[in-house]
Amino acid sequence: MRPSVDCYLDELRRALAQDFVPQLPTLFEQSALGRHAVLLGAVIEEFDRAASRRIEENRALRRLFADAAETIPDSDLRKRLRAACETEDISFRVRDLDASNCGLRNLLIELHEQVEQLAGEQARSLEQAIWQELVRSTERRRTALNRF
Amino acid sequence: MTLAAKLAAYLAGKLGHPAEVTNLERIAGGASRETYRFVLHAPIEGAPFERRLILRLDPQASLIETDRRTEFAAIAAFQGTKVPVPEPLWIETDTADLGAAFIVMTEISGGEAHPYKLMQPPFARHLATIGQQKWTILGSIARADPGARGFAGIVAPVEPETCWRRELDLWEAVLIADELEPQPIQRAAIRWLRRNPPPPAQRISIVHGDYRTGNFLVDQDGSICGILDWEMAHLGDPLEDLAWSLNRVWHLNNDERSGGLLPRQQAIAIWEQSSGLVAAPQALHWWELFSCVKGQAIWISAAKEFQTGKNRDSIMAVAGWMQTTSQDRASLELLGHLHETAAGERL
Repeated sequence: MRPSVDCYLDELRRALAQDFVPQLPTLFEQSALGRHAVLLGAVIEEFDRAASRRIEENRALRRLFADAAETIPDSDLRKRLRAACETEDISFRVRDLDASNCGLRNLLIELHEQVEQLAGEQARSLEQAIWQELVRSTERRRTALNRF
Repeated sequence: MTLAAKLAAYLAGKLGHPAEVTNLERIAGGASRETYRFVLHAPIEGAPFERRLILRLDPQASLIETDRRTEFAAIAAFQGTKVPVPEPLWIETDTADLGAAFIVMTEISGGEAHPYKLMQPPFARHLATIGQQKWTILGSIARADPGARGFAGIVAPVEPETCWRRELDLWEAVLIADELEPQPIQRAAIRWLRRNPPPPAQRISIVHGDYRTGNFLVDQDGSICGILDWEMAHLGDPLEDLAWSLNRVWHLNNDERSGGLLPRQQAIAIWEQSSGLVAAPQALHWWELFSCVKGQAIWISAAKEFQTGKNRDSIMAVAGWMQTTSQDRASLELLGHLHETAAGERL
């Protein structure tokens, strides 16, 4: 698509902030529309990276599960971890990637809870790997909106 | 019939003589109520009388579900004290008059509450003074006797040993009910909080519930002239309010100043001096991590309201997009994991 989507959205953001917001009669209405303009900045960022960050995260989670399956004694969870490792993202539509991501992150919650209860060096190492992935997951989601 | 006309009819009924409402204007005032300022004209025996008032009207859906009776009682509890609050005038739980429950209170004129405006001139040169007042007033709230102030009879009682569990149960339930996607960081935080409960509260106080920069009014001289948004007030551990005020997501200048105002240790020292209580590091740490769970529950609830179409105010989307990631990062920081990824690799 040309003009590119980010170019178009940036113009929409500018027009809202500079042309339309000042014309609104009350401060409340100006603030409400002004926030939409600010949010469009995040939409531009997310549009460019939307598929990429989801694919990256889903792959990272599957790799983590592959390692975890060697450590987890619970046979049911181990089986589900292995099954999750064998899935892959066929569709790169954001909605489909999100659906995969939700399934994988729910499994991560279960894994994390179980690992916390395990003793031993392997469990601690796996726990650290989970925290590292959780840190990366927040970094993937950050936008210019985030002051922290 | 316009909202102004309906409101005038209601107020005339309360006053027992004719009333007129002018200059009705919606203003920002917390995302859990629709807030309006207006001027009430109600001549008494022929003599003109007008008063600037605030209407807080329940919306169809809000960022947080709260009871307006709690807000009204909390404001009433601090009348005539060192805690500056508006004067509560009427509360109406019957939705027949305005289509929703509401409260009416006096307007504190001339103050600014917007957190980012407070970081700019003319307020910016007063930030340290504002901080001194902010945590002194919070200490006064912690020191107040809920029984003597008439608040204890309005809200559910709680014990010093179990107040943490009640709050954690409440916000965990909100998180579970409203999450649109899994929350692995908050789930881990909740497990940590349950494994490491805090010591009993030093006392049971009135907890404001949302005490932060942005929920008080500051005049041009840098004086705090009104503490607002009491809708989440409850009884509990006063450390809960202190922890919420220190939450990383309220570091408005993107530096180490809590609430954009003062270094953390200074804020804590002021609060301790004012409240007569001690902010033991371990107990405060528990409440700070709890405040991240509570914050995240609020932000994801806002996201759900927007997503489901119950409330399409842009503030709901801001909460969902901006605050959730920052809140997760704040949780990671408190859990000691934020600055490490793989061995030797630091973010």
